[in-house]
Amino acid sequence: MSILNERIQALLQNSGAAKVLATADKQGIPHIVSDPTISVNNEGKIIYLELIETSQSNVNLVNSIWFKRKVAIHLSKGEESYQIKGYPAYSVISGPVFEHYYKLSLERNPEFDLSTVWIIEPDEITDDTYAARKKKEREGHPLITHLDRLAK
Amino acid sequence: MDKYKDVSPFVIIKSDVTRRSFTYTDRALGALDKSKHQYQQRVLIGSNGGENAAVPVSLLLRDGTSIISTPSKTAKNPYVVDQIDGKLYLTDQGEIVEEVHYWYKPDYYDKFTSSGTPMWQVASARPQRLDIDPNSHCHFWNKGNGCKFCNINANSTQSEKECNMSKQLTAQDVYETVKEALKQPGAFTNLKMSSGSILSGAEIFDDEVDMYIEMLQAAGDNFKEKKFPSTIVASAFSEKQLARLYENTGLMTYTSDIEIPNEALFAWICKGKHKEVGYAEWKRRIIRAVDIFGAGNVSSGIVGGCEMAQPHGFTSEDDALKAVLEEAEDFASQGVSIVHCVWVPMHGSAFHNQQNPSLEYYVRLAKGLSDLRKKYLLNVDMDNYRKCGNHPDTDLDRGNYL
Repeated sequence: MSILNERIQALLQNSGAAKVLATADKQGIPHIVSDPTISVNNEGKIIYLELIETSQSNVNLVNSIWFKRKVAIHLSKGEESYQIKGYPAYSVISGPVFEHYYKLSLERNPEFDLSTVWIIEPDEITDDTYAARKKKEREGHPLITHLDRLAK
Repeated sequence: MDKYKDVSPFVIIKSDVTRRSFTYTDRALGALDKSKHQYQQRVLIGSNGGENAAVPVSLLLRDGTSIISTPSKTAKNPYVVDQIDGKLYLTDQGEIVEEVHYWYKPDYYDKFTSSGTPMWQVASARPQRLDIDPNSHCHFWNKGNGCKFCNINANSTQSEKECNMSKQLTAQDVYETVKEALKQPGAFTNLKMSSGSILSGAEIFDDEVDMYIEMLQAAGDNFKEKKFPSTIVASAFSEKQLARLYENTGLMTYTSDIEIPNEALFAWICKGKHKEVGYAEWKRRIIRAVDIFGAGNVSSGIVGGCEMAQPHGFTSEDDALKAVLEEAEDFASQGVSIVHCVWVPMHGSAFHNQQNPSLEYYVRLAKGLSDLRKKYLLNVDMDNYRKCGNHPDTDLDRGNYL
């Protein structure tokens, strides 16, 4: 059972949504890539298609699957914004799933040479809009605000 | 694993499964789908399986790491592959260790060449590599001097008898099989050829070089450009032979296995190679291949742990590791990657009754070899986790690309 609700899954399938993958290297140095092709599969797991075998993202994802480190995906469109954190669960480099996405990549761009299909298991979701974040802060930290905002 | 927190747990699992072997439960064997999974494979060393055996040829881990191993009936403490809640897992003493997958069967596998040869007998498939072994007979054994860890001739003789699998391939079969394999988009990233040593010719190995040229040209006729991602695992050829091979084929990288990186043990374990060529000359030829193929495009395999075979091998794991890594560093400093497989004392080899070293030895060996490549700026794309999958040390490199 995926923790991604229908709305988020639909947004992940929307090629018009902004999608950013954040990973970190072994020293913790962050690395982000923007990729509108990030999507979701039938099991509610996030699919990231890595085109470059030796890219920083790929190396970071390898270390994440080895050492159980989370990665983050920022997803937004219009007023909606979410942050999804999860664990790389599978690095698919061969077989029918790989070949399905290999063909899909070729349809997107004949120059694309797919390296790896990453399947990321979502573990936590945060509503990332300003309104949601501010509401949470107000509830948890009512003393943190500017007084002029409370004036009559 | 707690002791080696910076080493991929998948690599540690792979090393241990290979050294201890594994078995399948009936449930796990029931999950094999002969229409989807590989259950027959032509291999040089190991086992080609029986005629009617329907056992998965190998395993794949979640991170794409291959475990190239087959079940052993004589293993004393094997892992067990079981099916639990619809998924396949490696288990150890009843505890789940990791999820595994069976290797998929490529589209060409069930087809036949125009001569009627099953294509799976011409080219076997690793997850991203086409393996073509044109000659499954090693001439060193003819004089009783085969390498003691190897069962190549026992395996090929049994396969010929039980499965009607020819020891030699024809160039036409190779051409047709590669042509068919390339029709499957995304299935392969490399073509590898290997063979038993052929000692004949005006100069030793001349006929082996001729055989590779013929076979590589046949495979190469399927590619648009002359050079294509490829390697051979062959005898140690002279500079003249290497140049001939490079100029006349699409070959891009080269491997010749030093097997045991220690002269005295090489002389004992690889008696034929030592007698006909010698350790120093075998090594020199490998290093000279860098002049032709370039640094990082030449590797040499070792049978990791075989340096502890008795009665002449090291008796201390520390001493063995030190000796192996010192020699590996000498190779690396001259542009050659040393890559290791896990020594499995196989049925049909002279060492079938021996015991391989501890798991910790293999973890330290893999890390040591990977660290050497980092130190000498050698990438091993030619022999990495997806091209070969038989080397725990090159699996580690993918988490640390240069």
